[in-house]
Amino acid sequence: MTLKLGRHSFADDATLMMAIVNRTPDSFYDKGATWAEDKAFERVVQVVDEGAEIVDIGGIKAAPGVFIDPDEEKGRVVDFVARVRDAFPGLVISVDTWRAEVGAAVCEAGADVLNDAWGGADPGLVDVAASYGAAIICTHTGGVTPRTRPFRIEYDDVVKSAVADTIAYAERAVLAGVARESVVIDPAHDFGKNTFHSLELTRRLDEMVATGWPVLVSLSNKDFVGESLDLPVGERLTGTLAATAVCALAGARIYRVHEVVETRQTVDMVNTIAGRRLPQRAIRGLA
Amino acid sequence: MRIVVVPSTLALLPRYASASDPIPELRAAVHAATAWVLEDGPVGGVAGSPAGLEVARHLVGDPVEAVPGLLVAAGGSAMRTENAPGAFDERAEGYDAVVGKALATGDLEALSRIDVPLAEELWAGEDALVLAALGRRLAGTTRVLDVQVDYDDAPYGVQYWVVRWQCES
Repeated sequence: MTLKLGRHSFADDATLMMAIVNRTPDSFYDKGATWAEDKAFERVVQVVDEGAEIVDIGGIKAAPGVFIDPDEEKGRVVDFVARVRDAFPGLVISVDTWRAEVGAAVCEAGADVLNDAWGGADPGLVDVAASYGAAIICTHTGGVTPRTRPFRIEYDDVVKSAVADTIAYAERAVLAGVARESVVIDPAHDFGKNTFHSLELTRRLDEMVATGWPVLVSLSNKDFVGESLDLPVGERLTGTLAATAVCALAGARIYRVHEVVETRQTVDMVNTIAGRRLPQRAIRGLA
Repeated sequence: MRIVVVPSTLALLPRYASASDPIPELRAAVHAATAWVLEDGPVGGVAGSPAGLEVARHLVGDPVEAVPGLLVAAGGSAMRTENAPGAFDERAEGYDAVVGKALATGDLEALSRIDVPLAEELWAGEDALVLAALGRRLAGTTRVLDVQVDYDDAPYGVQYWVVRWQCES
């Protein structure tokens, strides 16, 4: 099925890089490097140059912290979305928000995708996506409250839970009027999960792909990588790319990333090995 | 009768396709010459080494008996540069010049006298046998009236020619 992300359509076999752009002073990886609007815009220019098809703009860090009300969140992202829309008509703009009120404002400003990292915490978000013709990312969090860390959460089977919850969310979005080709599911590594859960989701990602819904993975520099290798933020790229390779082999379609170039190469190499993509230019042994 | 000579490179086969074609100009020349030979209808014969025959059949399908037209898949040396498949041999350029001249002038006698032992040393032995057999088969039975050389280059250290011959029927 063709993937339709707002104004933009992609073929069945396309893999997409979604570059993270934080309009936050405190996100875990960049620690406010793109908090200033011009710095965030420079980041957009850079990731577009690196080949990202999507930017995912967020105004609130995922981890607990200072309360950001909807007006403050809109102040961080809405005008910025409009600026990016104006500068890059061909770019898919996603906004990382769980709030319907914020979703409506960014769609007015030109957003194509609502990335609901908190798994439907605001039930009105799907209605906003439907009314604006936007795509929606349906994540699995196990039902936790936004911006909380997991604490002793257990699942009978985390993959079955992720499949069941994201499918239910996806169907709810379709019932609300979101186009079926504009719904993406995301197991949401580390959200409502310990490291063992995220590792199992990675290992069994094919079960999510088998649902038929396009799968997004957000692995980049996360704690499950850090804990697996006992490495701090800043030293997790190799581990991230290894997890990326496993997800690519299983058939993930969208990769939410800090490092665009490295992830694109990893995904392309895996898909070439898998026979889903031609070598770019092969002559060795053939001439 | 129309005869076309194209290279025997496996890069012409669909199963070895790349996203970005490593031989776009060669492929275009091969397809143009193949289209020309097929203007007269199906070819009556194909010739080549095992690899060359696979290339030829990919281009023109199975030959039909008792009709004119011939597609030959054979090329030159594979030792023109250090990075060539067989690495560099200083004799390769001279060998290719001799064979290339025979093809470009339709000189069937010269083709039949190709130095096959030298060709074997230059990683062109099988194709040399094919070209020499072509020369022997046609010499005395037909003449080459007109020649068009569509391609003459060694982009990967391997000599490729695409040549069209219009022969006496």
